[in-house]
Amino acid sequence: MNEVSLVRLYVIRVAAVLAVWGLWDSVRTIIEHSPFDRGVHKALLGGLWLMALFAIRYPLKMVPILLFEMVWKTIWLFAFGLPQWSSGVGSPRLGEDLWGIGAFPIVCAIVIPWGYVWRHYVKAPGERWR
Amino acid sequence: MASIAASAPTADPELSLFRVYVMRAIYFLIAFAEGSQVVPALFNHEATARGVIPALLSGLCLMCVLGLRYPKQMLPLLLFEMAWKYIWFFAFGLPQYLSGQQPPTFADDFMPITVGVVIMPFVIPWGYFWRNYVKAAGDRWR
Repeated sequence: MNEVSLVRLYVIRVAAVLAVWGLWDSVRTIIEHSPFDRGVHKALLGGLWLMALFAIRYPLKMVPILLFEMVWKTIWLFAFGLPQWSSGVGSPRLGEDLWGIGAFPIVCAIVIPWGYVWRHYVKAPGERWR
Repeated sequence: MASIAASAPTADPELSLFRVYVMRAIYFLIAFAEGSQVVPALFNHEATARGVIPALLSGLCLMCVLGLRYPKQMLPLLLFEMAWKYIWFFAFGLPQYLSGQQPPTFADDFMPITVGVVIMPFVIPWGYFWRNYVKAAGDRWR
């Protein structure tokens, strides 16, 4: 019996392909950037891009990255996006980030196979301690 | 000897207990040492801060808490940690160090990221990674 439906695997794969495609512009700027660029933001997105490549072949093994995506985007939404949006004072890129980051916790919540997460990351016994 | 032989079959042949603890130590360091540095920025920041970097790093720290319980299953987090630090080091840090043209944040970024670049290859269980993330058949396509 398969633990996760084929449809679900494809939903995760489509999300991974979209991430590879969507992050490509950031990845390109890793190669071409100003000498004074801090680079941390671009390197982090480059790392996510690489993980998304793995997720196309191994969607279930890369579920931790999907969870991570949902968590950090939710953190951003509540610590930065929503307070800035409601106060009217925000980063110059707030508008694009509200869509590009703030809308994605919901997308991640739809993509993540929650039954699988529950069985493998909550109910499953942890790795041995001795 | 008999007790060791008897307990051997129940042990996971894939990763030694030592390796599991090395991974746990790194999850712990990321979650709590790095966490104590980055999480305060979520609450204490300029009104116009973009916030992507503190949110990303805080998310990583939070997820690493789960790595203490499931070090093997959360390996993608360690791979991500290694990947972004290597990308930064070779695309930004090292060229900027060599050229002397550096952003004002360089001194803050260089040491913590370089430590990661040095440590992470010794933490990742490469044999396990090779078997499970390269050689293993991918999830089914049909």
